[in-house]
Amino acid sequence: MNGHDLTVLGYLAILLAGIVLQLLATRTRAPIPPLGKVIAWAMSTRTRRVGILVAWAWVGLHFFAR
Amino acid sequence: MMARPRRSRTGGPSSRDQPTTGREPGDEGAGTGPAGVPAGGVRAAPRHLVSALAGLREPIVVILLIIGFMSWISGKPLDGLLILLVGVSLAWDAGRRSRPARPAEAASGAPPAPVADGPPAPARWRRPALLTAGLAGGVLYAVVVGSFSRYSWPATVAVAGLGAVVVAIGWRGPRHTRPAPPRPPAAGLALWGAVFVAGCLWELWSLLEQPNLATSSYAHPTISTLTDPVLSTWAGRSVVLAGWLGLGWFLVER
Repeated sequence: MNGHDLTVLGYLAILLAGIVLQLLATRTRAPIPPLGKVIAWAMSTRTRRVGILVAWAWVGLHFFAR
Repeated sequence: MMARPRRSRTGGPSSRDQPTTGREPGDEGAGTGPAGVPAGGVRAAPRHLVSALAGLREPIVVILLIIGFMSWISGKPLDGLLILLVGVSLAWDAGRRSRPARPAEAASGAPPAPVADGPPAPARWRRPALLTAGLAGGVLYAVVVGSFSRYSWPATVAVAGLGAVVVAIGWRGPRHTRPAPPRPPAAGLALWGAVFVAGCLWELWSLLEQPNLATSSYAHPTISTLTDPVLSTWAGRSVVLAGWLGLGWFLVER
């Protein structure tokens, strides 16, 4: 396994961890909120709402804008 | 001294940042109050600086400043500048609103009190129509902007323009009146936070392992590098743009 594979594996592991958390949140009684509820709560103040929207805008800028 | 009424600042969390200028509670909204301009124009600058520094207690502000800085030094000065600008504005705004009472914050940042659900009858048919128009507009946007080359000026204007509009909408407040959601359990928040931070750190590690910040590495690809093949085609760009739009729509509707 080379560095490239290891790096990609790391991304996949993190993605998998997110999926597992979401499944735990929606399929079990574990005290884990679904991602949607976390985002809804995070968007309930102006600072966090604008911050999250800026992060979203940055993703678009990063991939498409000069 | 002891006679200072505790609610003279409408219950603000601290009085340490209240200089002995004899300002009244109405001064809190510097630049945004009815008067618009603080009474002491010369004293306003340090007060704004204090507000901005107080706003750094918000983690999202710190994250934005870090993103802006990293974007700047990795060859994306426009991204960096815009994000730094918003980060500083948010820091100032958060610091300003952390001083007055909670009700003031609720008025500007938190969702207002819930109102009766159900739009009036004439508006019922408008929602599906607006949804359809929005979807059609989104598809058109994704197809048209996806046809532009990456990092071209047309793509930059289209993405930056839409991003600015969405951020402005978010700044104004939630689009829907609904009860403030309860704070999720701390353990659950910590777990989601750990996943998010792990993703950021993994991306940062890959970025720092590149030959330099502007040159990608096959051995340590960033997400940008991994998505380059997809984004090199019109269809790929359009699909990714559609996903980006959908995520933005989801966020704005929260």
